[in-house]
Amino acid sequence: MDAFDLMIQGLQIALQPMNLLFCFLGVLMGTLVGVLPGLGPTAAIALLLPISFNIPPVSTIIMLTGIYYGAMYGGSTTSILLNIPGEAGSVITCIDGHEMAKKGRAGPALGIAAIGSFIAGTIGVLGIMLVAPPMAKFALAFGPPQYFSLMLMGIVIIIYMSRGSVFKDMMTAVFGLLLGTIGMDTISGTQRLTFGVLELADGIGFIPAVMGLFGVAEILINVEKVMVKTLVTEKVKNLLPTLKDFKESFWPIIRGTFLGFFIGVLPGPAPVISTYSSYALEKRISKTPKKFGTGHIVGVAGPEAANNAATSGAMIPLFTLGIPANSVIAVLLGAFMIHGLQPGPMFIFKYPDVFWATIASMYVGNAMLLVLNLPLIPLWVQVLKVPYPILFPLILVFCLVGVYSLNFSQLEVWLMIGFGVLGYFMRKFKFEMAPLILALVLGPMMESNLRLSLLISHGDPLVFLKQPISAVFIVVSTLLIIAAMIPGIQKRRAKLREVIEEEKE
Amino acid sequence: MKKYDIIGSLFYLGVGLLFVIYSRSALDIGTPQEPGSGFLPFYGGLFLLGMSVLFLIKSLLSHLVEGETFFPEKDSWKRVSAIILSLIGHNLLLKPLGLMLVTFVFVGVLVKVIFPQSWVRTFIVAALSALGVKLLFTNLLEIQFPRGFLGF
Repeated sequence: MDAFDLMIQGLQIALQPMNLLFCFLGVLMGTLVGVLPGLGPTAAIALLLPISFNIPPVSTIIMLTGIYYGAMYGGSTTSILLNIPGEAGSVITCIDGHEMAKKGRAGPALGIAAIGSFIAGTIGVLGIMLVAPPMAKFALAFGPPQYFSLMLMGIVIIIYMSRGSVFKDMMTAVFGLLLGTIGMDTISGTQRLTFGVLELADGIGFIPAVMGLFGVAEILINVEKVMVKTLVTEKVKNLLPTLKDFKESFWPIIRGTFLGFFIGVLPGPAPVISTYSSYALEKRISKTPKKFGTGHIVGVAGPEAANNAATSGAMIPLFTLGIPANSVIAVLLGAFMIHGLQPGPMFIFKYPDVFWATIASMYVGNAMLLVLNLPLIPLWVQVLKVPYPILFPLILVFCLVGVYSLNFSQLEVWLMIGFGVLGYFMRKFKFEMAPLILALVLGPMMESNLRLSLLISHGDPLVFLKQPISAVFIVVSTLLIIAAMIPGIQKRRAKLREVIEEEKE
Repeated sequence: MKKYDIIGSLFYLGVGLLFVIYSRSALDIGTPQEPGSGFLPFYGGLFLLGMSVLFLIKSLLSHLVEGETFFPEKDSWKRVSAIILSLIGHNLLLKPLGLMLVTFVFVGVLVKVIFPQSWVRTFIVAALSALGVKLLFTNLLEIQFPRGFLGF
């Protein structure tokens, strides 16, 4: 059966009324969290994990994936209307999108963002169809050494791509790995750092950790400042861009799509990096670079297409290798595992229904977003008026009750509060969260693959270099760490960060 | 950032030390030929220890000027502390008060404290939250929560 037939089968599953409903709920919630500044898709997916236990696995994955790409649509609304990025991937949209809104062109800006996202989403789904199956077949040859090296490379790339200090990120990643060792050792059955607490035998719960780090910590950061919301325009008119707008935006959308998709495949905060890359590319090749920053539609079209394509690209390493490319996908990986699905090379062949239904649902979801989002923009404008003092306590209640309802364990609630406080201080002290969450998820898998590799090779540490694929991963990881520590490159990274910060302001 | 980096490195130093000592004393580290349950906690802890010491030295020697203050606004600390204390309170009082009552109190306190709202608005939001939580988790998802001394 070829990919097309499998896609049709997936579409049949995705179009079942129940799955359609969850797809709709997912993209709706995704748009909502994208619209609301201060609450990202990671937190939203984490918040919904506890209640997903009562939903069939396929529907859960369809819904949670919908939140991810739906958030990219929603993020642009806040960026354009409020000049506050609803999502990290929409920061760059503020520059020209908000300028357009100030000139009374909020409608075309929102319209081109949605259309660009739809085109990118469509091409992105085709990309997954074409790239994921052969990549999974290639990964079937992987053994424990290759897996260990690949996961190591995943974490190293996240460290390299992050905006913070390499030292800090490396420590954070090791901290995550160590936290992942708490609980019963799966090989020997020994209890590790449980101190006699039975509830810790299964390890530190992923959901309490994620809800604390992304839900509670995000709110603690958000309540520090009084958020002032100044809506540029309440009545958004003429959502459809003009023919001239379309002509100007077409190629930036296509370029943004391909750029976003390939950046998405690489580990790292792909939606964010892809938007900056797309913006920089368009500005560089433009005949009128001075127009950027003054309300140029190209500055919205390219980046918005890029961040949506990046979400599609980021699904490839998850489905084919079982490696999350960023923290949102790491939480999604947790959701797969909670439902007894193990992403990896065998996933596409073992669970073709889940894989193809999810891919098909992404296409359906993108169409839903295009059809629903444009008419719903006035509603999102109203949502933005909901006062934060009311919203924040409700999110916290959801965190508390959601975590407690998992195992009726107050210890897990304490863990969530602890992780919330830890996440708050990490943000304040400029320690990145992504290496921690990625290492926490990958930690147990990395440990078992490390130990198995050493057992197979009779303790030969060179086993990781003797296998060609593994050696490539190790060499790449080493080069990246060295590169990040070379003063010249460090300076260039710092300069790049400064440029990004300046562009944001 | 210098002060924060020092605090961060001390935290990781403590974590590294804990894992090294614990795995050395309570777990079987094993050998590279036969790695035991304490293999990764021990060597991971050792690596973290080494990194944190290096980072501590780097931070102590750096000439970085202190950046922004910890809290961006004068009363930020009040809101942050109120949330942390309320979360602790919610977990402590869940069993004695029951889900509905504790949610009512929790939301009420936060709505009134974070960015103070009127009493009427506070009461309405707290009551609707308590009711919503009961409807969603107890009635719809059929999850049993502590009932508290009032029986609901």
